[in-house]
Amino acid sequence: MKVALKIWRYDGATGEKALREYEIEAPEEATLLDCLDIIKDRHDGTLAYRKSCRMMICGSCGMRMDGAAVLACKTRMAEIAASGHVPVISAMGNLPVLKDLVVDMTPFWQKIRAVKPWLDTGYVEPPEKEFVVPQAEMDVIHKESLCIMCGCCVSECNSMEADPDFLGPAALAKGFRFVGDPRDRATVERLQAYSDEHGIWDCTRCYFCNERCPKGVDPRDAIAKLGAEAMREGIDSDMGARHAKWFVTSAKTTGWLRETELVPKTQGVVRSLKEIGFAMSLLRRGKVPPPFPPHVAKDVDEARQLYELVEREGHEGARGIVQLEKPLARLERHEAGYEEAAARGPYGPGSFPKPYLPGENESTEEGAA
Amino acid sequence: MYDVVVVGAGCAGMRAAIEAYDTGASVGVVSKLHPTRSHSGAAEGGINAALGNTAEDSPEKHAFDTVKGSDYLGDQDAIEIFTAEAPGDIYQLEHWGCVFSRNEEGKLAQRPFGAAGSPRTVYSADITGHVLVHVLYEQLMKRMEEGSLVVHEESFAWRLMVEDGRCVGVVCWDLVRGGVKLVTGRSVVLATGGMGRIYRATTNAYSCNGDGMAMALHAGLPLKDMEFMQFHPTTLYPSGVLITEGCRGEGGYLLNRDGERFMARYAPNALELASRDVVSRAETTEIEAGRGINGSVLLDLRHLGAEKILTRLPGSRELAMTFAGVDPIYDPIPVRPGAHYMMGGVATDNWGATELEGLYAAGEVACVSVHGANRLGGNSLMETITFGRRAGRAAAEHALASGRRGEVSDAPARDAERDLAQLLSRTDGERPWKIRDELGASMLENFGVFRYPDRMERQLELIQELRERYRNVVVEDKGEIFNTDLTQALELGYMLDLAWCMVQAGLAREESRGAHSRPADFPERDDERFLKHSISRWGDDGPELSYEEVRMTRWQPEVRTY
Repeated sequence: MKVALKIWRYDGATGEKALREYEIEAPEEATLLDCLDIIKDRHDGTLAYRKSCRMMICGSCGMRMDGAAVLACKTRMAEIAASGHVPVISAMGNLPVLKDLVVDMTPFWQKIRAVKPWLDTGYVEPPEKEFVVPQAEMDVIHKESLCIMCGCCVSECNSMEADPDFLGPAALAKGFRFVGDPRDRATVERLQAYSDEHGIWDCTRCYFCNERCPKGVDPRDAIAKLGAEAMREGIDSDMGARHAKWFVTSAKTTGWLRETELVPKTQGVVRSLKEIGFAMSLLRRGKVPPPFPPHVAKDVDEARQLYELVEREGHEGARGIVQLEKPLARLERHEAGYEEAAARGPYGPGSFPKPYLPGENESTEEGAA
Repeated sequence: MYDVVVVGAGCAGMRAAIEAYDTGASVGVVSKLHPTRSHSGAAEGGINAALGNTAEDSPEKHAFDTVKGSDYLGDQDAIEIFTAEAPGDIYQLEHWGCVFSRNEEGKLAQRPFGAAGSPRTVYSADITGHVLVHVLYEQLMKRMEEGSLVVHEESFAWRLMVEDGRCVGVVCWDLVRGGVKLVTGRSVVLATGGMGRIYRATTNAYSCNGDGMAMALHAGLPLKDMEFMQFHPTTLYPSGVLITEGCRGEGGYLLNRDGERFMARYAPNALELASRDVVSRAETTEIEAGRGINGSVLLDLRHLGAEKILTRLPGSRELAMTFAGVDPIYDPIPVRPGAHYMMGGVATDNWGATELEGLYAAGEVACVSVHGANRLGGNSLMETITFGRRAGRAAAEHALASGRRGEVSDAPARDAERDLAQLLSRTDGERPWKIRDELGASMLENFGVFRYPDRMERQLELIQELRERYRNVVVEDKGEIFNTDLTQALELGYMLDLAWCMVQAGLAREESRGAHSRPADFPERDDERFLKHSISRWGDDGPELSYEEVRMTRWQPEVRTY
């Protein structure tokens, strides 16, 4: 097939930038990485990009396609090429570019190291054999342990764009990998450190990291789990924590979000006094209900029951946020006919025949697929 | 100058670095990739240790399976050390936080694997290598924080530095900034991994080019058993990526185009869980007899059901869906044999020491030899840990005992700069990719699962032609920053030299043993003549071959069936 790509070239030595277009011939199954290889081999040996495993596990080939981060080795080109679209390939965002599609990962790794990413068993002497831990307790960190540190989430992180010191989705997901690990004994210290400025509560919840993660790690969910665990441990002095906490209290007591109290509960009474003028103008325009008497929803009992259910079932803290879906099951399909396969099932009409042992089944007419 | 320089930062390199550091040495790690990008991370199915968590097992049983799997070419003293120390190494990884899968009691789960008498493969779903690489890097970061462990990432090690008969460091090309730099140490540990990229169809990453083996070869060191390249039976069609043996460990079937479980005709007892060499030969025979589909056979997991596939084999499903458009819950996966693992490598003793004072090797780059003529699935990750640890310990002890040395000469840097300048100044000639592609295709054709004398002869001639063309190779990128055009050209040079060693040793080994199969002229194993390791050394006119005895302890060669 014919594949056309536009690539943002960048020369780190001179600072020169140019958008160059390439047209190549590639095999039908080619990925973006395969196409870059063809360009480098046959058209332009100076093109720079990282690669290694080409099987979505080493995390080398994060880059942007049409402005959103992808793993080049995971991105099949057939559909894009067939549509006639010419995608623009560029280096990942939020990290300095060294050359072409290669970014400097140093700031990325500094943040990973900042979360103290190693198991801390505290004063516990390890047993003679393994720590005995039920699989269900390890499942809490299943998704976070899939992270390949490719940087796609960091590339797309809006908070980091605004605040380059924000720890960011990859480092915080790595942090939860330890907070959620029953063998780790540094939970409180970790949660305290991650709750500081540039930490958990500086995430804007845009969900771009979940969206762009090629491995289903869902870093935003990891950040939510850290927040929930922090509050469970009583680490809630940050404004973000107080804000979230008031949401829950308000919903539980009245069934509504009482916005007029949200500001003082989040920012403290003194700071919110400054906002009184603004609040009055909102009130005048009917944007907020009057605070007194507190308005209680008719079916507030249902909200309270939900709260009690979570408590009764033990889904507190991170466990309330663990979604038990298996992340890799949520794969995009790449070939037409996938839905049909699911509809017909593994052995339905048109499926490959059932296996047999030699001599067990001599009728093979229906065999050739 | 460091006490210990570790070259390569996959499982073996990182384990060696940790051990050397914990022994009290200052450590410099040199790697052409960031450590977590290393190809150890692509290992899927698991890591073997006789823990006995699922069924009764013992290091002796593990040793016997390994000896038999090696087709009796493995050195039995090394294998006994290996299987005895493996359980302790696994517990240590678990204490460091490794995210292994658990059994119903909450202990480490163990799954059956090919040619193993007991379920002894510890795993993490089907991303075992990934969790190992990350736990080792966590431990590395912890020690980096403390101080005297430094990682020189994206530094391409190119030549060994040898002074007064001792290895004193490596000459590197700095990928990020450009330029030659020397990383020197009192001991050096090679842990650069394998060389699957010598073949067109391979599970190996683009970075597996045999760098360390070639560096050692050119420093005059012997390579051992280079004819033994393992072909993994289940590499995905068409991309060649690995689909784990764990799929068969969990009960997967191999089918030909008729839906027949053909392994019953080749290995009536073990069926799909026969040794890898046996299964790869069976598949190749089926495909050559016209019973394949598009040059592949099928790996059928449908009967395992969605739940098991999603919990135990999610990564394999992801690979099959992404690269072959097949969801293994509903359809069988097309697979074929592909180059996977080099059993041979830099000859070492049981502590990873080589012939050259101060130089150690561990992992796939080394040949201890634990794997002999055929490696068992799950044994390579274990080897990286156990022998990585041993090599790191020995290298540190050597460094700490050898005391301070004076300045090391920087002449190797000037030599390297001169040679690289010469290569970069060339403007007329051929770019490397075509030579690389021809080498890969011809090695697969002429030195693959089955080997025939005429084809091996032809391959030797072809390698000479390719080497001739390589002399005029042109690097198009003349820049300093991230010049992979340059490093890829250097890697190709390595691979051409190693291919020569492989085919030469293969042609001389007039028998069939393990992964080396000569159906036309020498279909049987010949213990009389070839119960020996081949040794390749670089001479004036290319590699020179000799032989060395296999170290036997308890097991005499027997007929090998599965």
